[in-house]
Amino acid sequence: MIRKFFAFRYPLGRRSYFSLSAASFLLLLLLWSVLSYGRIVDPFFVPAPTTVMKTLVRLLLHENLLADVWASVFRVLVAFGLSAVLAIPLGILMSAFRPFEAMAEPPIDFVRYLPVPALVPLTILWVGIGEGSKILLLFIGTFFQLVLLVMDDANNVPQQYFETAYTLGADTKDVIARVLLLATLPNVYDDLRVTLGWCWTYLLIAEIVAARTGIGHLIQEAQRFAKPEVVMAGVLVIGLIGLVSDYCFKLGSKLLFPYKYPASPWANNS
Amino acid sequence: MGKQLVEFDSVTKVFPVRANRGRESLIAVQNVSFKLDEGEIVVLLGPSGCGKSTVLRLAAGLDFPTEGRVLYEGTPVTGPSRERGMVFQQYSSFPWLTVRENVKFGLKYRDDLDPKEWDGVIEHFLSLVGLSEFSGRFVSELSGGMQQRLAIARTLAANPGVLLMDEPFGSLDAQNREFLQLQLLQAQANSGKSVLFVSHDVEEAIFLADRVIVLSARPGTVRRNVTPCLPKPRDLEVKTTPRFMEVKHDLLYEVRKEAERQVSFPTNIRAVGEKFRDEHKFSARRHKRTAG
Repeated sequence: MIRKFFAFRYPLGRRSYFSLSAASFLLLLLLWSVLSYGRIVDPFFVPAPTTVMKTLVRLLLHENLLADVWASVFRVLVAFGLSAVLAIPLGILMSAFRPFEAMAEPPIDFVRYLPVPALVPLTILWVGIGEGSKILLLFIGTFFQLVLLVMDDANNVPQQYFETAYTLGADTKDVIARVLLLATLPNVYDDLRVTLGWCWTYLLIAEIVAARTGIGHLIQEAQRFAKPEVVMAGVLVIGLIGLVSDYCFKLGSKLLFPYKYPASPWANNS
Repeated sequence: MGKQLVEFDSVTKVFPVRANRGRESLIAVQNVSFKLDEGEIVVLLGPSGCGKSTVLRLAAGLDFPTEGRVLYEGTPVTGPSRERGMVFQQYSSFPWLTVRENVKFGLKYRDDLDPKEWDGVIEHFLSLVGLSEFSGRFVSELSGGMQQRLAIARTLAANPGVLLMDEPFGSLDAQNREFLQLQLLQAQANSGKSVLFVSHDVEEAIFLADRVIVLSARPGTVRRNVTPCLPKPRDLEVKTTPRFMEVKHDLLYEVRKEAERQVSFPTNIRAVGEKFRDEHKFSARRHKRTAG
């Protein structure tokens, strides 16, 4: 039985998959419990699960945690959405027309290597300490990475797809819209999934500076007043959001790109 | 035979290559001339790497000759067009579309067709290659043979003047290949399309062709222009007839001779090896020192 499960790329059933995922979570919880309840680690460093849960409930009921969550999610959604909407067409154009690449790649590469935290003073200087600076920071952190990923994906589409389209009569506009874009999208989708995670990382950086709301602000305040249980509660919430959004991405992939999940005996020789 | 469709007039194609830190050039095909008439199946036969595919790409307008002219219906080819449909060896259909949608892809570019007629055309070409019942499947859900049949249906549906086929059955097993060869002959007989077919397989070439053009080893030049004169319509039995054997014997000899010329470059490899060794002498010595 066990041996069968560990056959190379053995297709796990839905239930086994879910059970194993749940088990890994429980295992982590168990480790955490042993460390904290067993007094192996000072409870100040690692607060017990129950303490963190109580804190979470308190934050939810009395300290308007949902408002903080919404503030953070809003910033990520706006910045990430903006990055995607601009990066996908630009990446595709850079792949389709070399002059675009020649002009856009050097500045993008320049910004891409700048450490985002170093830009915090500038973003505040430029757009103030309101929502604008946070969104701008997230945008800078995400957009410039995403453009190059999109371009690379577009460059990896087999040349024969374009040649097929051209010999069927398509013009360049259609080759881009009906072939290059559609062939690139599934990989871009995976890029989005990865860059969304980065976006959350930058969010914390953005919110640690001069924010009055958001999970990052919550964590920063907890650090100032030495409340590790609040820090952990905040981290848990972020992790949970990540888990949910990743699940949505997976689900979306099956809906948007059904051809990536073939159901037939020839599934492997595509 | 009808009017002259494709003409290669002393075509030479040279590709620049980067090798040995310098720019060198590779002569893919040299001084190739031949003609393809309307309704004719011409097979370009030659050892792999002899420039057959280059000839096909030139005909399609996906590449341009360094010297000479490629003409379609008497005018020089300036780029790819719906008139010259191409079937590649692989990656021939769009994986994000279903079988049906793949055939539909090119119909938009036919001005002789009203969108109302599309459904009928799609059904016609899918049934021609025996894929009607798979119309809702994605390409990833088809076998290799089915994928090639789809590529043929899709290309025929676009109603090109000539069908360019680049070893389309090369990756298939023998049974599937014979089956598709028969289907191709049948589809061609029904539609009267001209076909320019590239193959390295002598038997396939003779079976399909009205005319076989044998290309030499690189740089590819026209070695022979053979008309097998086999009766039509053909079935697989034709492969056992004396005439077939006779042509096969003749062409096998020709192709083997060229194939041998093609692989007779170990002297070159030795030269490259020596150059490599000279260039890396220093680092090799250093390696030895650190190791010792």
